[in-house]
Amino acid sequence: MQTTFQHQGAGLRLQKEMMTAWYARQEQAVQTKLPIAYVFIGGSPNELLRNFGYELAFPEINALQCGIKKAAGPNIIRAEDFGYSSDVCGYVKNDIGLMLNDYQSPQGRLAKPDFLVCNASGCATYLKWWEALAQHFAVPLFVLDVPYVQGDEIPAEEIEYVEAQIHELIELLERQTGQALDMARLKTDLAYAAQTEERWSQLLDLATHHPSPFDSYFEAVFFMANINIFRGTKEAVTYYDEVLKELKERIDHGVGPIPQEKVRVVVEGPPPWPHFRSFWELFKPWGVVCVASTYSKVGGLWDQGFRHDPSRPIRSMAEGMLHAYCNWSLPKRQALIRSYIDHFDADALVIHSVKSCRSFSVGQADLREYFHHEAKVPTLFVESDLADPRYFSHAQLRNRIDAFFESLEHRKLARGGAGGGP
Amino acid sequence: MYYAGVDVGSTTTKAAILDVNRALLGTSLLATGADVTLAGQRAFDRAVAAAEIEPHDVTMIIGTGYGRYKVTFGHAQITEISCHAKGASFLFPNTRTLLDIGGQDTKAIRIGVGGEVLEFVMNDKCAAGTGRFLDASAQVLDIPLEDLGTTGLRARAPIKLSNVCTVFVESEILSHTARGRPTEDIVGGVHKAIASRSVALLRRVGIEEEVTFTGGVSRNVGMQRAIEEALGTSLNVSELSQHMGAIGAALFALERSEGKHVSPGVQVST
Repeated sequence: MQTTFQHQGAGLRLQKEMMTAWYARQEQAVQTKLPIAYVFIGGSPNELLRNFGYELAFPEINALQCGIKKAAGPNIIRAEDFGYSSDVCGYVKNDIGLMLNDYQSPQGRLAKPDFLVCNASGCATYLKWWEALAQHFAVPLFVLDVPYVQGDEIPAEEIEYVEAQIHELIELLERQTGQALDMARLKTDLAYAAQTEERWSQLLDLATHHPSPFDSYFEAVFFMANINIFRGTKEAVTYYDEVLKELKERIDHGVGPIPQEKVRVVVEGPPPWPHFRSFWELFKPWGVVCVASTYSKVGGLWDQGFRHDPSRPIRSMAEGMLHAYCNWSLPKRQALIRSYIDHFDADALVIHSVKSCRSFSVGQADLREYFHHEAKVPTLFVESDLADPRYFSHAQLRNRIDAFFESLEHRKLARGGAGGGP
Repeated sequence: MYYAGVDVGSTTTKAAILDVNRALLGTSLLATGADVTLAGQRAFDRAVAAAEIEPHDVTMIIGTGYGRYKVTFGHAQITEISCHAKGASFLFPNTRTLLDIGGQDTKAIRIGVGGEVLEFVMNDKCAAGTGRFLDASAQVLDIPLEDLGTTGLRARAPIKLSNVCTVFVESEILSHTARGRPTEDIVGGVHKAIASRSVALLRRVGIEEEVTFTGGVSRNVGMQRAIEEALGTSLNVSELSQHMGAIGAALFALERSEGKHVSPGVQVST
């Protein structure tokens, strides 16, 4: 069969185009009088804020962009010089460092906030971050108190509690902007959100193929930017149509993210953005492909069936805020990872623990114990940081990663199975 | 036909030569220094000389240790975790748990019947409780490193150290010497602190007898005693403990040459 590819690279190319335009809108926000709302990724009320004319800015995404483009280190040091402790979240310190440098970033000059919405109450540090910005810029801060999801069923009163807060947010937005909520537009945008969520879930499920057509950690973290930033727009729906074409084309040709898939893993924890490429390179020699990751669910757990619903606009937004990965309790996260290992036919679990992130890292040592000793899933535990380049020790990470996959391969070979090593 | 393992560690570099019957013909040990590649080459040359063979008689060479990717004259690289497990199983076939304390790392490894690694954990990124900690302690107490073990054995009332941080140990030891605590009690306390931390690491993989102790620190008799007391069981310790990684690497080289293909590792790309 002649190998002809028509869609390869579309996911990254289109994402870059959309993000470049988005950053350009932010850079020109003062001139165009475009109000900027700072929000967090997990359960963000995108559709509601756009309804009132706000452009969204995600300082978490700014931080990861600074990480990848090697700017996070100087920003973090600037924040530490200012007085922030070395233990404070790398994302927070990156943003404070940006603020102290008049928001000069590799993406250009970032927009300052006109309004802050703290929608991620699963992380107490995040609230303090937004409080610092609110004080510095003297702009309003709206705090959503989103209960932590404990059991299988979320009690109705907890959903109603969030729903009531969204109504309060709408009232505030109406007072701030002098505009009434455009319910027709909200329903249209929520329909786009649901279509995006459906496509994103289809995309993630393609990793059940052998070989997986994509890496659900090292590639999915790029594909996920569009659902987090542009969810609730037609462009986001179109974007995922294009990515699905790209990945289905890979399936048709039997290709994946690396030449030969040998080990399938589930990955827990955020990537070390300042060393993203070199971290991936440590796994490639062993033929490791990630088939499911928890980090790609920080915006929302749409793969678990949740959808925004235009027929229940406010209530479904409330449900969406509850169903972000970092808002789930440890037992629920553990059960989710277990289901990923089974559903995606994974051989092992990799936990990348992040030194400065309590929201992710608390409980990861328990996850390791459970998976390795009770579930009998070989588990690798490595540590660095999501933004601070100083915590990435290449030689030590390589030693742990090599030793883990080496022993996995050794056991496979000793059992008479196919070898996994290069 | 001969087989070599070269273990380039953070502090010392070791090499071992085996013949086809798995007989150990020669070993070497030298300080790694700044030039890692040169250290590997020198260790190999010295082991070859000790074995009284020619370098070209060595069929396969496997590099291990932190500097394994710098063993550019080798045929493949395997981590010291796998190599120590292999070497320990060769010298002590009933080994099920392995404690390796090197210059910068402490590793606890659970080993299968065939010498394969079932699970391993390592110390945190800092060198707390490793060979470097003992180095720092010996230095501040002004006693030779090789005398640390026997000094610790003479302890009557070992001190309690509040932490095993290699950086802070100096001031903590100085405060004990200032209070007039005998040197042997301070060294005994240092050994107990490392032993306690090492046993905690071993518990994470599960302690199953027999337990073998390897790495440079295993040469310290005071450490052996402290760990045995903390564990409540005796340890396998060999004269060749420091060479365990190199021996394991040489065994992997031999297995590969035999076409068993049961050895893991990354091939050197040329």
